[in-house]
Amino acid sequence: MLDRTAAPAVEVRGLTKTYGPVTALRDVSVSIAAGEYFVLLGPSGGGKTTLLRAIGGFHRPTAGEILLHGKEVGHLPPDKRPTTMVFQAYALFPHMSVAQNVGYGLKVAGLPKAQIADKVAQALEMVSLSPFADRRPHELSGGQQQRVQLARAFVLDRDILLLDEPLAALDAQLRKDMCLELKHLQEKVGITFIHVTHNQEEAMTVADRIALIANGDLVEYGGARDIYRAPDKAFTAGFVGENNLLAGRVAGLSGDSVAVDVADARLRIDRRGLRVAEGQEVTLSIRSEAVRLSRDTGHLEGQSIAGTYTESVYLGLTTSHRVRLSDGTEMVAREISERDDAPAPGTPVVLSWAPGTARLHVE
Amino acid sequence: MTAAASETVGGTRPAARPRASASEALGRWAFRLPLIFMLVFFALPMAMTVVFSLFERTMFWMEPGFTLFSYENFFFSARLTNFLESMKYSAIAVAICFVLGFPIAVFVRRSVPQVAQHRVILLFILPFMVSEIIRVFALRPVLQRNGLVNTTLQNLGIIDEPITALLYTHTGVVIGEVLSFLPFIVFSGFLAMEAVPKYIFEVCDDLGVGPWRRFVDVILPLAAPGIFAGSVFIFVNGLGVALLPNILGGAGAVNAGLIATQAITALDFPLAMAVSAIMMATLMALLWIGHRVFDLTRILTPLS
Repeated sequence: MLDRTAAPAVEVRGLTKTYGPVTALRDVSVSIAAGEYFVLLGPSGGGKTTLLRAIGGFHRPTAGEILLHGKEVGHLPPDKRPTTMVFQAYALFPHMSVAQNVGYGLKVAGLPKAQIADKVAQALEMVSLSPFADRRPHELSGGQQQRVQLARAFVLDRDILLLDEPLAALDAQLRKDMCLELKHLQEKVGITFIHVTHNQEEAMTVADRIALIANGDLVEYGGARDIYRAPDKAFTAGFVGENNLLAGRVAGLSGDSVAVDVADARLRIDRRGLRVAEGQEVTLSIRSEAVRLSRDTGHLEGQSIAGTYTESVYLGLTTSHRVRLSDGTEMVAREISERDDAPAPGTPVVLSWAPGTARLHVE
Repeated sequence: MTAAASETVGGTRPAARPRASASEALGRWAFRLPLIFMLVFFALPMAMTVVFSLFERTMFWMEPGFTLFSYENFFFSARLTNFLESMKYSAIAVAICFVLGFPIAVFVRRSVPQVAQHRVILLFILPFMVSEIIRVFALRPVLQRNGLVNTTLQNLGIIDEPITALLYTHTGVVIGEVLSFLPFIVFSGFLAMEAVPKYIFEVCDDLGVGPWRRFVDVILPLAAPGIFAGSVFIFVNGLGVALLPNILGGAGAVNAGLIATQAITALDFPLAMAVSAIMMATLMALLWIGHRVFDLTRILTPLS
């Protein structure tokens, strides 16, 4: 479905945006293929919305360039770009009906009335809002209002859709439903979606690829599964999924394997081609669901660590076991809640994991 | 006590009326008191104005009767012309206030950070800290024949002769009205802009809506009730505040308020009452038209 041969739908090169002394984006470069569902994920205030708005033409970047379908667009206002934006909320004309809202862009563009009516009907059909054409925005639910925004974007026939936290104003259940709906709509329409969110579950649901943005930097980007399973940066590991982050010091190198001292254990870990030196401070990440908890000792050398059990947190499907290591770090082992025989707090326990599950990060 | 007793004994009434507690009674009176106040000191005098306007004039006061003499006196004299003129110039003052003040409101909503918006708007209250008489009177040394404006323009060589039309004329009154009432259009415009959703301007950018269309299609319909309310307020005051034409006006440059005041000075109370009644009727007609056109209840209705 992705057309990788043509020029990318969006290509951002060395984009920097500063507001006075504040740097919102720092030298960001990213390429988004046509027809891709791309998610910009990161904490609030990290710069992801700034990037989205720069692509949409709502502000001028301080440095760098933006190419849409291979053409430089830095000088173009939002309406002259092949992009259109869906906002968080509060973006419908309250005094117009749903149909008028959807058709307003076409009316401004000077299309004949009959053609506008056709296109509006089609777009409303697509977002299943046909029966609501004559309602006013305040008579619709939050989810329906967002679908009106989608229809308004679709009628413009622009092929890059920018979504700025489109589900943030909805409640949790509705957000899940709308997530899937967005994904299906994107597959049906086939245009490029660029979606900004701070919610990782939302990102995982919809994304073909995810870019992590924090503190004005593009931390890393890749396929949704890769970002989850094999994060490159410690920040990614900390933000996506539920990872244990352990601080350690390199004790020795042998080929592809690195020995790292964490608390009072020596762990063996894959080097991943990273450049490390003996004595260097490094970070390890291990997904909590990959960590096993046991009371007996004598585990795989280098793939386990001892600690003191502190508490269990029952979350329904899973139970999180919290364990304190000798250096004070808390580690979490998450397992399916099948048994209710958590160790008593203070019990010495051992945490272990399969070789290859822990990842090394140097920053 | 009796209600509770009869309920326990009879047991037939499923929901006895709960006894009003002292705080509930207090709460009720908190609403009744202002109502009574308004009836006694506002509605009643308004009705009396109409009644008095039909009374006979005596040397120093008036006596009960029924005569349309005061209305004749108003409609078949220069007073009608003056009244209509003052309506015209009040309307001009409203227009100038709108042109100067509404963009300020839009600007504050759009370009000032949200946390600072209310503080900026509060700045427009500052002029009210000076007594209105002083404020209006201070315009005289600015506008008069050898005042600030004229001497400045003369010194710059832009004019040879001082402009005398600035003071003791309709122009002077309009300047005074704009000065006094501009904050009201800023306030009402600011509140009216609350009806404009946060991201609408960006949506307009995205759809390529030009500034004129944006104003006519989006801002005006949404802000209209608020703008109308502010405009009516200014118009009413332009018509009724006697102080402004008294200090800044002159022969012919009067308003309804000043006509009534002058009638009282001449001890013609029925005439003063008639002028007030005519003013009230005019304004009620205006409000009715405004309500039919803009649906003023929308000011209080949430939009999204």
